[in-house]
Amino acid sequence: MKHNIVDNLFAGASSLVLHVVLLAMFIIGMDMTSTPKPLAQEPQKEIVQATVLDENLVEQEVARLEKLEQDKKNAEQERQQKVQDQLEETQKELARKEQEYQDMEERARIEAEQRAKAAEEEQQRIADLAKQREAEEQKRLEAEKQRKQEEELKQKAEAERKQAELEKQKVEAEKKRLEEEKRKAEAEKKRLEEEKQKAAEEKRKAEEAKKKAEAEKKRLEEEKRKAEAEAKRKAEEAKRKAEEEARRKAAESDLQRQLEQEQQERETRRVKGVVDQYSLMIQQRVKRYWLRPANVQSGLQCTVQVSLLPGGDVKNVKIVKSSGNAVFDRSAESAVYKAAPLPQPSDPKAAAALRDFQFIFKPE
Amino acid sequence: MFTRWLKIVALLMFFVPWPAHALLTIEITGGSEAALPIAIVPFGNEGFAPPEDISSIISNDLKSSGRFAPLKQSELISQPHEGQQVNFADWRLLRSEGLLIGKVSSQDGENYQVQFQLYDVYKSQQLVGKRYNVPASGMRTLAHQIADVVYETLTGEKGVFSTRLAFVTEIKNVDGSKRYALQISDADGANPRTVLQSRQPIMSPSWSPDGDRLAYVTFENAKSEIYVQELSTGKRQSVASFRGLNSAPAWSPDGKKLAVTLSKNGNPEIYILELSTGKLSRVTHNSQAIDTEAVWMPNGREILFTSDRGGRPQIYKVNADGGRAERVTFEGNYNASADISPDGRMMTMVHGVNGGFHIAVQDLETGAVQVLTETRADESPSFAPNGRMILYATEQKGRGILAAVSVDGQIKQRLGESGSAVREPAWSPFKK
Repeated sequence: MKHNIVDNLFAGASSLVLHVVLLAMFIIGMDMTSTPKPLAQEPQKEIVQATVLDENLVEQEVARLEKLEQDKKNAEQERQQKVQDQLEETQKELARKEQEYQDMEERARIEAEQRAKAAEEEQQRIADLAKQREAEEQKRLEAEKQRKQEEELKQKAEAERKQAELEKQKVEAEKKRLEEEKRKAEAEKKRLEEEKQKAAEEKRKAEEAKKKAEAEKKRLEEEKRKAEAEAKRKAEEAKRKAEEEARRKAAESDLQRQLEQEQQERETRRVKGVVDQYSLMIQQRVKRYWLRPANVQSGLQCTVQVSLLPGGDVKNVKIVKSSGNAVFDRSAESAVYKAAPLPQPSDPKAAAALRDFQFIFKPE
Repeated sequence: MFTRWLKIVALLMFFVPWPAHALLTIEITGGSEAALPIAIVPFGNEGFAPPEDISSIISNDLKSSGRFAPLKQSELISQPHEGQQVNFADWRLLRSEGLLIGKVSSQDGENYQVQFQLYDVYKSQQLVGKRYNVPASGMRTLAHQIADVVYETLTGEKGVFSTRLAFVTEIKNVDGSKRYALQISDADGANPRTVLQSRQPIMSPSWSPDGDRLAYVTFENAKSEIYVQELSTGKRQSVASFRGLNSAPAWSPDGKKLAVTLSKNGNPEIYILELSTGKLSRVTHNSQAIDTEAVWMPNGREILFTSDRGGRPQIYKVNADGGRAERVTFEGNYNASADISPDGRMMTMVHGVNGGFHIAVQDLETGAVQVLTETRADESPSFAPNGRMILYATEQKGRGILAAVSVDGQIKQRLGESGSAVREPAWSPFKK
């Protein structure tokens, strides 16, 4: 059991050391892998569209592309140089790191010695083992180092290959881009042409629209003119009609006035007619009742003013001009009284005219 | 503008069709002279009854004039005797223009108080009212006086109801002899009284202008004589008793002279006798013809007379102081016995045509003749003093009677109820 614990303890110590070493190596390794790595790129699908191009244009384009290739080669050399430089730099850096590692190693050794001092027996007892293990570790480390170096070289070569591949891809991409540009240019050209066509079309359309608009305008103007003419005609018609109406109304009005006037004249005539008729009736009646005195001197005459009540009865009789003969005057008054009620027209106007009037009584 | 003017004018005309200054005037010409309706209500009586029916006398008088149409007694709506009892509307319904009411009262049957009121029915106005004291014997005269007042009030002319008639009656005695009487009656022929009796004929009574005297012709002395008699005293005097014919006296308007017919020189001629001196002056000088029946014109300067100098009797006119006579009548083959109306405008005469003798009037200005009677033996026409009536004698059943006709011929009436034959009437003048 004891053995186990020791074993375990040893194992633990060695594991610790190993971890420290591994950590340090990892850190170093990390540094080592900080060189540029080609990125795994999804190869782009090439979509080449066959297009019939102008021979000259192709040639020109090929020349241009060759030149471009040349330039690229030059740039590549330059870049190779740069890579070389970078590699050297990296090696320098690696050396520097190595130094730093060594320094750190030193410090760790010191620390270990210090710890060994504290645990000298322990260290002694396990010295062999440690030595063995160290040798093994050394060996493994060296193998690891070598593998790592190989790996690195391999990676480097791979990177370069990948780089070249990338370049190639780039060229192809460029070519493709150019083609794409060409296509685009063509598309652009086509687009332009289309646009031109479109523009032409639009222009045509615009012209057409303009024409149309002009026609419309003209039409509208025509319509407006027509409408104005119509309006004018209508206005004139309306005016004419209004004038005619006014004339007609004026004529009607005149006619109306004339009619009214005639009506009034007729009315006056009618009333006068009624009055005359009733005057005659009154005259006849009063005459019938007039008993004039016999044997009076000739030329006697008297004027009697009479007011009648609405029914024709006598309201008042007055001698306004005497004959000079009382009996003669009285005979006239009596005649009026006796004749009452005097005939009265039902027409109020005529009746009004026959409300107050006078008689002249004279025998012949 | 103009039409508006017209309208305004038309409106004015419309509203003022008969302006006040142009009051409608209706001329009444013609009319009639028909009798005036009058209501004469029987007079009331207090105390002794009057000897005469006054209202009847008045009514008859007015009716006889032809100028009035008294309502019948049965038509009288009521019998008021005093003013306050009168309802004029009632009388208007009867179309009566006048209304006469009155009453008589007496305490002793000898002396009477009489009063009357005359109303204008239509004017509801009293026209005249009077009161009298009268003896019983004066009742009829008073009635005539009242009739005169009514007549004059309503006609404007003087009534003749208080005037008198003179006429000659002839009574045949049983022995065959005749008795003549000169009589005077009221104007209605009533109340005759004899002023002269004679067995010989009495002719041609003529009233003096003052109505106090009568001139007449008698034959009492076996010859014709002209007397003048004072009526109030009965005293009389012969004024013309010449040889031959003394006839047809006619008083001059001044009452101082008589125009007479004398034949003292052989042929009947017209003379003028001055009563105060008895002086005679000859007016006509036609020895071949009879000139007689003189009558004075009211102017006292001219005389109308009947003459047959033209062959048949006709009326001629001559100046009272002589000169050439001129013929007045030309219609008919006989015109005689002229009388002149008081106003000198109308002449009445006996007008012979177709064998009949009628009373006619002739307008002296125009010469127009109107025959008034149809009876065939009319004679002695005499104007009433107001000129409205003509008194004459005519024959009825062979006997002479008195009659009167209005100058327009409308009213004819017989006067008096004398049992004797009546001839030669003369209407008195108004009492002076």
